[in-house]
Amino acid sequence: MSDILEAGSNWLQEQRKKHATRSVLYRRGTDSVLVAATVGRTVFEQDDGAGAIIRTEVRDYLIDTEELVLAGDQVLPERGDRIEEIQEGATFVYEVMPIGKEPHWRYSDPYRRTLRIHTKHIATQES
Amino acid sequence: MSLIVEIAEAVVTELNSMDLKSPLQAQRHYVPSFELKDMSDLRTTVVPKGLVISKSDRSNNTFDVQIDVAIQKKFNNGSNAEIDPLMELVQEIGDQFRLRRLAAYPAAHWIRTENTPIYSPEHWDELRQFTSVLTFTFRVIR
Repeated sequence: MSDILEAGSNWLQEQRKKHATRSVLYRRGTDSVLVAATVGRTVFEQDDGAGAIIRTEVRDYLIDTEELVLAGDQVLPERGDRIEEIQEGATFVYEVMPIGKEPHWRYSDPYRRTLRIHTKHIATQES
Repeated sequence: MSLIVEIAEAVVTELNSMDLKSPLQAQRHYVPSFELKDMSDLRTTVVPKGLVISKSDRSNNTFDVQIDVAIQKKFNNGSNAEIDPLMELVQEIGDQFRLRRLAAYPAAHWIRTENTPIYSPEHWDELRQFTSVLTFTFRVIR
C-alpha cells in the first residue's frame, strides 16, 4: 500500500524545487557542485561568549539529498563546507556550521529527500 | 583618563610595538563587537576588565587592574597546522608581559596572567573561530 503522506511530501519537494530555488555552488575543499537550493530561514545571531560579541547572518539552505554529489560520491554536509551564492555581481560565502544546540544539518522531511543545512555568512567577495 | 583606561592604552602600545612571529594590530574597546565575516584576519582586542583596590600601607592603596587581551581569528579547517601558530602567539604575548613593568606606564607592574580557558570551545564549535583571552593583572601603588 502506498504512503500518501510520503507521496504528498515528495510532491511538495518537487514543487519547492521547481518554483522556489536558485543555483548555488556547494564547495568542499577543491570539489564543488552546482545545486538548486531554497533559501530558508535567515536571521541575525549574536554570540556574546568569551566576553566578545560576534554577530553573524545565519541562513538555512534546503537542497535535494541526491543533488549533493562531490567528486562522484553522494555526500552529506560537513562542518566547514561552503555555499557560494551570487547576487548582483557579489559572491556571498556561507560556511556550514551548527546553530546553538542543533547540528549543522538535518533532514527537512521524514523521507530524507531534502537536507536542511545551517550556515553562517563568512565573506562577501565583490567581483 | 581613568587609571584602568590608561593601563589598557599602555597595553595596546606595548602589544603594537612587540616583535612577534605573527604581527598584530591591537585596538582598545569597551565592548568588542564584530561581525563573523570580518574575522578572517587576526584581531587583537584590549578590554578593561576589572579593578580591585586594597590597603597597601597607611598612605597608599594597591590598585590591581585587570586587562583582557583577546586574540581572535576565523579559521579555515581548524587543523593543528592552522591553530598551533595562534597558540604560540598567545604564549608569546603572555611571555612579553611577564615579570615586567609596562613601558608606557612604568608605575604598573605585572602580577598575574590567566588564560582560562585557553581557547573558547563555543566559538570553535559555533563560529569555527579561534578565540583566546589572556587576562593580565597589573599592580599600581598610589
